[in-house]
Amino acid sequence: MGKYFNMIKVLALITLLSGLALGGLQQLTHEKAENNILKFKKIPAVANIYEAVEGKKLGDKERETVENNLLAEKLLVELEGEEEPTLLFVIKKDGKPFAVTLENFGAGFGGDLGVMAGFNLETGDLVGIGITTLSETPGLGTRVTEESFTMQFRGMGPDKVLKVKKDGGDIDAVTGATISSQAVAEAISAAKEFYEKHKEQIAREIGK
Amino acid sequence: MTSITKEFTKGLWAEIPLFRLVLGLCPALAVTTSAKDGFGMGLAATFVLVCSNVLVSALRKVIPNEVRVACFIVIIATFVVCVEMLMKAYFFELSESLGLFIPLIVVNCVILGRAEAFARKNAVLPSLADGLGMGVGFTIALTVLAAIREFFGAGTLTLAFGDTVFLDEPFYFLQQAPGAFVALGLLLGFMNVVNRLTR
Repeated sequence: MGKYFNMIKVLALITLLSGLALGGLQQLTHEKAENNILKFKKIPAVANIYEAVEGKKLGDKERETVENNLLAEKLLVELEGEEEPTLLFVIKKDGKPFAVTLENFGAGFGGDLGVMAGFNLETGDLVGIGITTLSETPGLGTRVTEESFTMQFRGMGPDKVLKVKKDGGDIDAVTGATISSQAVAEAISAAKEFYEKHKEQIAREIGK
Repeated sequence: MTSITKEFTKGLWAEIPLFRLVLGLCPALAVTTSAKDGFGMGLAATFVLVCSNVLVSALRKVIPNEVRVACFIVIIATFVVCVEMLMKAYFFELSESLGLFIPLIVVNCVILGRAEAFARKNAVLPSLADGLGMGVGFTIALTVLAAIREFFGAGTLTLAFGDTVFLDEPFYFLQQAPGAFVALGLLLGFMNVVNRLTR
């Protein structure tokens, strides 16, 4: 018995210490990592939607200005009935708020797949999407970030079904990456649902 | 002291992980499309290798033989997650390009192999030297392989020369997975030739 007890004791102890050490490190690095994700993932995704709204590609310099503006004007709002505050980005056209973007997640092939979806503030149509975080198979699932896939969402109205064609929807999946494409569709329809639910409050918050 | 030096230097040539032991092929083939990624991957693996070797060796009398592999894996996985978190906080770009292959260091045979074959039988200092030597050897091997693939396959060498383009029409094949095998095979052959000549 003593032998078995010792085995369990040592393994449990090592695992416990490992957990504690990782928890501590997570606390230390969490904030920095979140900032990086905001700067290198979320903002570029919003900038992609901005490009879709403008209907043109931005140069490096222009894009940097746009990204800085978006970052400066980000909104963290507490929406009714939601536990966590929601991060919103406002895209302006001719100086007036035109679209709002919010992020949602779908179950991808290699974990959560984050998608930023932009909605027209007046009509509620999709204005564009941008992929934020993904851990899909390189060369296959990662192709959902390509414009040939993301651009099809531009201008999709309420009559479109946000599912891939295989599931009876209107979205062309990336060949060889059905699960990743489904994850994107799932994330967008969740984002749309979320937006529809809170759109009055979101409009008020932006108007402020 | 000489034995410590020996433990260190064997990882650099005589038992260099990638070319002599032919271990750790998964990251070697997957992330060596640019010298930068290869180098980063090598450093990450070295960090894990050194830390896990030291800890395994320090705990070698405490860990019961029957559950040793489970303990080693927990120790290795802990350091790998440390690397992943640190990279996400301080080297975000690198963590993006290495992506999935950072968590996969857990199952890198070089690391478990050194814990099993060396660290659990030796004192802390030789284990440290062994881990460092193997890690540096692994880093050199990855960087060389990656540099060859990047230079001939993409025509650049971002690690050393930034955006300078050397070849206008590179040999794209080398950037793809089969190209990795070919490049590795040629390097292995080259190592054998050198070995034979110097013997």
